Amino acid sequence: MSKVVIPVGPQHPALKEPVNFRVIADGEKIVQLELDLSYNHRGIEKAAESRDFIRVLPLLERVCGICSHSHATAFAKGIEELMQVTIPPRAQYIRTIVAELERMHSHLLWLGVAAHEVGFNTLFMWTWRDREAVQDMLEEISGNRVHYNMNEIGGVRRDISAGEVASILKRLPVLEERIAEYVKMAAGQKTMLMRFCGVGKLSRAEILKYGAVGPTARASGVDYDTRKDDPYLVYDQIPWKVVTENDGDVYGRTKVRIGELSESLGMVRYCLENLPEGQIRTTAPKAAPSGEILSRYEAPRGELVHFIRTNGTDKAERLDIRTPTLANWTSVAAALVGRNLADIPVIVAAIDPCLSCTSRMTIVDQDKNEQRTLPVASLRPGNTGRKEGGLFS
Amino acid sequence: MNDILYLVLYVLVFPGFLFLLGYALFLEFIDRRITARMQHRVGPPWYQPLADFIKLLGKEVIDPAGIDRKIFDAAPLIALAAVMTAFIYVPVIGGSPLAFEGDLVLALYLLAVPTIMLFLLGWLSRNVYAAMGGVRAVTQLFIYEVPFFLALLTPALMAGSWSVSVIAEWQQQHLWFALLQPIGFIVALIGLQAKLERPPFDIPEAETEIVAGPWTELTGRRLAVMHLAEDVALVTGCGLVVALFLGGPLLPWDVGPAWLFGIAGFFIFVAKTLCILLILSAIKAATGRIRIDQLNDVGWKYIASAAILQVAVVFVMMSAGVIS
Amino acid sequence: MSVLTEMFRNLFSRPVTILYPAEKVPVPPGFRGKVTIADEKCIGCSKCSVVCPARCITMTDSPREVEFKGKNLARKKKPRVKLYKCIRCGLCERHCPADAIHLTGEPASCGPSREEVTA
Ligand code: SF4
Ligand code: SF4
Repeated sequence: MSKVVIPVGPQHPALKEPVNFRVIADGEKIVQLELDLSYNHRGIEKAAESRDFIRVLPLLERVCGICSHSHATAFAKGIEELMQVTIPPRAQYIRTIVAELERMHSHLLWLGVAAHEVGFNTLFMWTWRDREAVQDMLEEISGNRVHYNMNEIGGVRRDISAGEVASILKRLPVLEERIAEYVKMAAGQKTMLMRFCGVGKLSRAEILKYGAVGPTARASGVDYDTRKDDPYLVYDQIPWKVVTENDGDVYGRTKVRIGELSESLGMVRYCLENLPEGQIRTTAPKAAPSGEILSRYEAPRGELVHFIRTNGTDKAERLDIRTPTLANWTSVAAALVGRNLADIPVIVAAIDPCLSCTSRMTIVDQDKNEQRTLPVASLRPGNTGRKEGGLFS
Repeated sequence: MNDILYLVLYVLVFPGFLFLLGYALFLEFIDRRITARMQHRVGPPWYQPLADFIKLLGKEVIDPAGIDRKIFDAAPLIALAAVMTAFIYVPVIGGSPLAFEGDLVLALYLLAVPTIMLFLLGWLSRNVYAAMGGVRAVTQLFIYEVPFFLALLTPALMAGSWSVSVIAEWQQQHLWFALLQPIGFIVALIGLQAKLERPPFDIPEAETEIVAGPWTELTGRRLAVMHLAEDVALVTGCGLVVALFLGGPLLPWDVGPAWLFGIAGFFIFVAKTLCILLILSAIKAATGRIRIDQLNDVGWKYIASAAILQVAVVFVMMSAGVIS
Repeated sequence: MSVLTEMFRNLFSRPVTILYPAEKVPVPPGFRGKVTIADEKCIGCSKCSVVCPARCITMTDSPREVEFKGKNLARKKKPRVKLYKCIRCGLCERHCPADAIHLTGEPASCGPSREEVTA
């Protein structure tokens, strides 16, 4: 076969969300790859600027259905820091419990999706079945399976009762057993190993060059985890360790995620057992003093960054969200060239992409056949008197 | 006159086409059910394959721009006809009345027809995914066909006949070939799985890579007939393996009147095909899809050499006079 | 190997699928479902309507005497919730001073008329 252009996406069974790869393939080999993001611009950042701090949190949870708690916590954490409010320890523990449960359900979901991408649907069904247990716990704690709405500026909205603590602690061993089972399966399942080992290999240097984050980076031996490097909540008080592997391929990323599953489980258990007594929230002021802050958070997929600028009102003047998927895309494009066509779903799935969260705008002029981005100045007809530059320009 | 009537009934009704179609849908149901239960799901109700078939028959047939409609209409039918014909030579209630010396080879060739048709469909549908799937289908065909043929021909070598029914009868007097030639049996099962394009060999229709491969542009009744052809191929394939390796529908001893023998044979046939299906479903549930280049490696390195090894072993056994 | 053992263990055990609507999953206490308003408690302060992120609460005229913290108040309005717009965030419940608006364990409802999907 000569060279053909194969469009993968925006509607494609391997990618559940819209993204487009223009793959130029020579037979089964990929010779060139063009990535086209952003079919799903939702304007959340703009919408967030028009809502006060109470109403913005449910909106931010909806940036992503999987890491909903991450976005809300990252934002709340930033605002609290600006307001110089310290939330009570019990609230911190509860936030951590929800965050780690969220990481577990996200990684279990990922494991299933990765298995599905290589056609191993049995594992897909099993992991999603076990993920249901985590979701049940979250539902019990927060009252909802997806959008937990646990955060508010100054603490958390709901307490975890003693009964809930006991019932979750009772169900953790089952999950632990399952995770141990997945460790065995990942190491022993032949066809999966064939498809994962050596695929999508990225060296440590490449990871650093492309700025990949999260399990993608940790699988290549980059010991980078916001929870350790810039501790927030109670991560510097509870026992846990950063999981790294040196394989650098999809198999390594699988091992990192499964390893993080048991780490998260340990953290949840520790937090539940050592839940401090006390208030679950403090009263925070309505408005935040003007200032800028960069709030970093380790979402299940990697480092999530919220840049918040406030102007002394009860709304953020500007919110910029950098999701981990955006940081990881370049590494995917690099890992794909020269690979087999059949590896596309595997390598793409390995970063656990979350596409709607990643939407960025570009202007495409079809007549002139050019692409460009708009400078900030042109988006602001009225002069705000603020100098451009810094993180967001 | 009676003979002709018997033949017509045999081919058209039982255990011929009518039974075959029903059994094909039944096996599909069992397959889906077993897989579902292994995955801890409930699975479809028994009438699901039939309901799917009828629903697809009623759906609109869409012609992709610029295709040859005649070929698109004919290809699924040819595939179905081929596998149904192949089934006539599979012993179901005792030896097939239409058996002739060499029907094994004919049946094997007929079983390859659906793959060829898929390639044709993929190539002609002017869709990159379908074309890639078509190319993958033939590439895969070249890889598994050789070991599959070799594995199925080794029983013929030992039994000294190229007729499926005769080979089944031979095992009545001797041992099952599954015991005599275990390597060949395993290779045959793997080859069958590959032929039916089931995981880990569902490379041509890899959903997450190339949408549905050659199936992408099939719609309505074309899709329905092609699915049915696949189901029939499943029955025929299982039946062939049963006849060649598990002694077919025959009891090791003679029982009473011919009709009782036939009925007993039928139940044995069903039981044995279900066993084969269980193995195939287990393989399907326990594996992911491998890549075509990996299949190439594995196929030639291990599966083909295993088949050749089996042939060599058979020659040694025969010259040593282990089996008379 | 662990895959195979688990496969066959599953084959002979009850599937975990829940056949909705014949079987239903129990809803834990504290589940955030359909919004209900306790008419006798609501003082018509419109806090819920202000705080609602989905903007799905409107205040409608409903004059009534209510008892609030031992005093009798004459309220003028009461909230109406468009359930089809509600995202069940629970902020209304959280900020209501009179404990009058609640999220119940009932799942989201649907209905042929606007009346059936408002509370
Ligand atoms: S639950 Fe949330 S969205 Fe629904 S009415 Fe209350 S505040 Fe509005
Ligand atoms: S906040 Fe409570 S008391 Fe006030 S209007 Fe809403 S329901 Fe009524």
